[in-house]
Amino acid sequence: MEPADELLNDEVALELSEDPMRLNMGPSHPAMHGTIRMVVDLDGETLVNLDVQPGYLHRGFEKSCERGTWAQVFPYVDRLNYVSPMLNNVGWALAVEKLLEIEVPERCQYYRVILGELSRISDHFTCNGASAMELGAFTPFLWLLKVRDWVWDILERETGARMTHSFGRIGGMAAPPTVNFKDDVLRLIPELHKVVKETEIMLLRNRIFLDRMQGVGVLTKEQALSYGVTGPVARSTGIPYDVRKDHPYLVYDRFDFDVPVGEDGDNWDRFMVRLEEIRQAIRIIEQAIEQMPDDGPINVDDPRIVYPEKDDVYTTIEATIAHFKLVMEGLRTPKGEVYSFTEGANGELGFHIVSDGSGTPYRVRVRPPCWYNLAAAREMLLGGMIADIIPTFGSVNMIGGECDR
Amino acid sequence: MSQAVVDRLNTRFGGRILRWGEAFGDHEVRVALKDWGEVAQFMKDDAELQMDHFIDLTAIDYPERESARFDLTITMRSSGNSARIRVRTHVKDGEEPDTLSHVWAGANWAEREVWDMFGIKFKGHPDMRRILLYEEFVGHPLRKDYPIDKAQPLVPYREVGEIDKLPPFGIEEGQPFARIDWESRLAGGDNQVSPSIGVQQGQRRTLSDSEAAEQIQARIEVRMAREAEAAQASEETTEEGSGD
Amino acid sequence: MPTFILDGKEIAFEAGETVMEAAWREGIEIPHYCWHPGLSVAANCRMCLVHVESGRQMAMPQLAFDEATGEYVPATKPKLQPACQLGAAEDMVVSSTNEQVQTAQASVQEFLLLNHPVDCPICDQAGECKLQDYYYEHQGTLKRKLTEPVHKPKGVRFGPTIVYDAERCIMCTRCIRVCDEVAKDHVLDMRERGNRSEIILAPGRELDHRYTLMTEHVCPVGALTSQDFRFKARVWFLKSAPSICTGCATGCNSHADYDPRNGKIYRLRPRDNADVNKFWMCDDGMMTYMRHDTDRLLMSTAGRGEDRMPVGEDEALGLAAEQLKNVEGATLAVVLSAQHSTEDNLALAKLAGALDADRLYLAALGGWEGDEILRSDDNNPNRAGATQAAGGAALKSVADLVADVQSGAVQGVLALGWATAEKLEELTPVADLEHVVSLASHVGALPAVAAVAIPVADTFEIDGSFVNAKGMTQAFRPVLPAPGGVEPAWKTISDLAGKLGKDLGFTDLQGLRQGLVDEAEAAQ
Repeated sequence: MEPADELLNDEVALELSEDPMRLNMGPSHPAMHGTIRMVVDLDGETLVNLDVQPGYLHRGFEKSCERGTWAQVFPYVDRLNYVSPMLNNVGWALAVEKLLEIEVPERCQYYRVILGELSRISDHFTCNGASAMELGAFTPFLWLLKVRDWVWDILERETGARMTHSFGRIGGMAAPPTVNFKDDVLRLIPELHKVVKETEIMLLRNRIFLDRMQGVGVLTKEQALSYGVTGPVARSTGIPYDVRKDHPYLVYDRFDFDVPVGEDGDNWDRFMVRLEEIRQAIRIIEQAIEQMPDDGPINVDDPRIVYPEKDDVYTTIEATIAHFKLVMEGLRTPKGEVYSFTEGANGELGFHIVSDGSGTPYRVRVRPPCWYNLAAAREMLLGGMIADIIPTFGSVNMIGGECDR
Repeated sequence: MSQAVVDRLNTRFGGRILRWGEAFGDHEVRVALKDWGEVAQFMKDDAELQMDHFIDLTAIDYPERESARFDLTITMRSSGNSARIRVRTHVKDGEEPDTLSHVWAGANWAEREVWDMFGIKFKGHPDMRRILLYEEFVGHPLRKDYPIDKAQPLVPYREVGEIDKLPPFGIEEGQPFARIDWESRLAGGDNQVSPSIGVQQGQRRTLSDSEAAEQIQARIEVRMAREAEAAQASEETTEEGSGD
Repeated sequence: MPTFILDGKEIAFEAGETVMEAAWREGIEIPHYCWHPGLSVAANCRMCLVHVESGRQMAMPQLAFDEATGEYVPATKPKLQPACQLGAAEDMVVSSTNEQVQTAQASVQEFLLLNHPVDCPICDQAGECKLQDYYYEHQGTLKRKLTEPVHKPKGVRFGPTIVYDAERCIMCTRCIRVCDEVAKDHVLDMRERGNRSEIILAPGRELDHRYTLMTEHVCPVGALTSQDFRFKARVWFLKSAPSICTGCATGCNSHADYDPRNGKIYRLRPRDNADVNKFWMCDDGMMTYMRHDTDRLLMSTAGRGEDRMPVGEDEALGLAAEQLKNVEGATLAVVLSAQHSTEDNLALAKLAGALDADRLYLAALGGWEGDEILRSDDNNPNRAGATQAAGGAALKSVADLVADVQSGAVQGVLALGWATAEKLEELTPVADLEHVVSLASHVGALPAVAAVAIPVADTFEIDGSFVNAKGMTQAFRPVLPAPGGVEPAWKTISDLAGKLGKDLGFTDLQGLRQGLVDEAEAAQ
C-alpha cells in the first residue's frame, strides 16, 4: 500500500542491492503443505540460504499423552500423519503391545495390514496428486483425490470415519471387519490400478513435468543416511530400507512384494517410488485379502487389556470392574522402555515409550519420519531456484501434524 | 546382530560402557556424559559397526532422580547390516552434552528440539535455538514440572531487524472490517481503537489517513537519510582507498 | 531381630507377630480384605493365603486337569495359610506370589465377585475399592456363572449416619470388630450363613454410638456408606492433604479430601498415628470438615447492629487500631482462642505484651462429653497451646471476662476466634463496650458483639500447630488456600501491630515459630 513511486526520484532511483534478498514463505502459503515457514535468501532466483522453521502446528502431543491413559493416545496419534491415520494407529498399538509382550490374533494382524496399506495408498495419492497440482497439473490431482475418496469410503464403512479413525486398540481393533469388507476392497482394486495408469499416462511424458522434477531437489545417499531420512525419500536416493522387509512386523513376512528403490534422489525418483509403492501396496492388499481368515477373534482375550463387550459390562461385575479400571486408570504395563517402529507412509515411524508401571504413559516420544525428511530438505533446496521449492517440498511429503506433533 | 554391536562397544570401550542389555527386543548401552561424543563418533566411523543411519535422539525427564535429572538417548542403525542400537547417557540439570550434529546431520534438529522441550543445551551446536516453539516462549514444556495448562505471557509484536513494517491490520491498509472498536466509536470517542493484539498491548491505534501519510513520509525520510549516510561513508572509503 | 523370608526378601519381625503384620511394617502389602492392623484377626476372607515353602508341607487333594488325556485326575496341591493368622517364625520361607498363591487369589476373588451386584457406577467406593483393585491385579477373567446373582437387602438404614447394602458386603466382619473393639459396643453381628449371610443390628438398636463412621472407614467395599458423603463426590476427583482434627483436644490425625476444582472439602478420613489416634476418629471429629465452608466470616465489618457495614481490610485494620489506641493497656482484655493454632495465639500474646495488656482470657467451647476411647473431655484442640503461648499460667475464661466488663475493670476487648461456650445473650455487657475488636474465622458470638470484626483464615488454610491434651505438639499445613483477602490470624495480628506502631519481633511464620522455640528453651 506504500506509494512506491514516491521513492523514485533521481537520487534514489533504481539502485539494485547486492545483498541477497530475504523472502519469507509461509507459514500460511498454499505450497507449504500445512504450516511451514521458510525464510529464504535469494540471489536473483537462486537460493543462497534457507532456514526452514517448523513448529507452527505444534500441539503438544507428547505432553498430552502424559495426561491420559495408553488408550487415550489413539485419537492423538491419528492426528499425527493425518493422511494415513491407520498406519499411526497400528504403530501405536504395536508399540504398547511390544511393551506388554503380547501378540494380537492372526485375523487382526491381517486386518491391520490391509487397513494400513489402504491408508498408505491414500497418503501416496495425496502426495503425488498435490505435487502434480502444484506444477499445474490439476486434472491428475482430482483423479487421484477421486479414487482416494473411494478408499476413504471403505475406511469409513470399516471404522466409522474417513480420516481420523481412532480405530486401533491395544490388543486388537475397535470392531471386527464388516461383512462386505473383502468384497469392497477387491472391487476397488481395479479402479486404483486404472487411476494410477491414467496418472502415469498424463504426467510421465509431459515435458514440463519432467523438467521440473528430474534433476531437481537432489539428495545423495550419504546425506540421507546422515540426516536420518527414511521411507520413500530415502529409497529414492538408493537406500533399500523398508521396515516391512528389514524388520517384518505383523504378517508382512508372508507377502510377496517389492520395495521400489530409486537412484538419483531427485523429485522424479521420489514421485516414481511413491507411484510404484501404490502398486506394491495393492499387491500386498490382494494377498492379504486372500490369506485373511474369515472368522476368529480380533482382540486379545484378556479383560485386563481389551475392553470387555458392552453386554458383559452392563450385566456382570467382573466386566464392569475391568472396564472401570481400564478407563479410569488405564491398562497397566510393565515398567520399562521400548522403541517400536513401523513403516509409516513417510518412513520409519517410531514410538519410544517409557512406562512407570501405571496406566499413564510416563513419556511418549514420536519419531516422526518427515521431521528428518524436512531437515534434509535444506540440502535438496540449497543452490536451486526458488521455483524448485514447490515440487521439492511437495515430494518430501511433509505432513504438518507428524512433523510438528 | 544388534548384540554384536554391544559386544564391539564393550571390546573397544571396556569399562566406559556403564551398562548394557536388552529389554523388550531393544539393545541398549549406557555411557557417561563425557564419553558421549567419542562413542557416537566411533559408532559412525568404525568399519565393523558403520552406524551411518541416524534414527532418533531424545531426552526423558526424571525430576526425582537425584543422580542426574535427564536421560539422553540416541538410536541409530547400520545401513549395511541393519543392526540397531540405543545409546543412553545421564545428563544433570545444567550440564551440556557434546553436540552430535557434526557426526550425523539429523542430530542438528533433534538436539534443537531437545533444547526446546527440555532445556538441555548442546555444546558446540551450530544453531542452538528453539525449533518447535517461538523464541519468546517461557519454559521448557516437556519437563515434568511444566504444568500442561500453563498460560504463556502475551508477546509484544516482534521487531525484526531492518525490516520496516507497520504492525498488520491497520485501517489504512485497506482491511478495516472487524477491526473497529464499536464500543468506543458509539460512545463518541475520537480514538478508533482497533481490537487487534497490538492495541491491547497499548502499542498502537489505527491511524487516520493523514497520520498514515505522515508516518510513511517520515519513514521514507529516515530511509533516505540512512542511504545518504551510507553513500557518504562509501564515498569516503573510496576516497581513502583511491590513493593506492 | 529374627527374620523370615517373604518373596526372597528378608523381613524382620518381633516375637508374636504374624507374617501379615511384619510385612505391613516393611511396607509390603499382602492382599487382604478382613485383616486390619488395628483390629483382631478374623481370617475369613482367605485373600491373604500364602505358601510356606519351608518346613513340612501339608498337601490337599484336588482334581487337576490333565492336558494330555483331557480328563480330571487326582492330584495334590500345597495347603496355603492365611498370612494374617500365620505367626512369623525364624527362617521361614514364605511366598505370596508363586503360582499356587496366584491361583488361590484368583479363585478367592472370583468367589467374592460371584454374587456381587453391578453397582460400580453408583457405588461410592469406586476408585478406592479393594474388589476393583484386586480384581485387576489378581483375577482378570470374566464371569463364569450363568445364573442370577443372589439378592439381598440394599440401602438398609443402620442408623443416622450409615447405610448398609447387603449385596455388596463380602462378610469380612471388619465392621463388627470395629464396633466391638474400638467403640466397645456390640451392636452389629452376622446373620444366616452361606450365600445368605448379611450384617444385622442388635435387636431394637440402631448404629448410633460415637464411632459409626469408623465402620464405613474400615469397610473395604461399598457395603457401608456414610449418609453424609454418599453421592457427593467421586473419589478420583478428590485430592488428599494431611490435617489435624479440631474437634477435641485429642488431636486425631486426618486426611482432608478436597476437590481442587471447587476448593471444597468433602470429607475427612483418619490418618494412622500410633501415638495419638491409632487408626480411628470419632463421628463428631469426622464431621468437622464442614467447618471449612459453613458460617465463615469473609468480610471485615465495622459498627454494630443496624450500623454494621462491610469495610475494606485495610480500613478495618485502621479502625481496629484506632479502637485499641483508645484503650489503656491495663483495661484491655485480650482473649486468646483454644480453637486457634499456637502461633496465632502467640502472636496475640505478643501484641498484648506490646500494648501492656496483661488481662488474658481464653475463649473455648464447652458442652462436650469425652470418653475412654478417643474423645478428650475438652472439645477444643489447642487449650494447652493457647495457655503455653500466654506464658503457661492458666487463663481466665470468657465468663470471667463478662464479670470483669460488668465491674468496669475492662474497657476494651481484643478477641481471637469465634468459639466460646457462652451464648450471644450472655455477652451483652461486652456488646455494650465501645471498643471491641474481633479476629475470627467464623460467625459466632464473639464477632457478633464486636465493633470491628476482621476475618482470619480457618485451620484448614494455615500453617500452624496444636498442643493436644497429652502435651504433644502436632503441626499441620494448609489444605486449601484461604479465601481472597483473608490471612492467617498471626499475620493479621502482625499487620494490626504495624498499624499500632508496635514491633512484635517477627515478620513471618518462621520468625514467630523461632520465638516459640526460644521461649520453650528459655522456660527450660
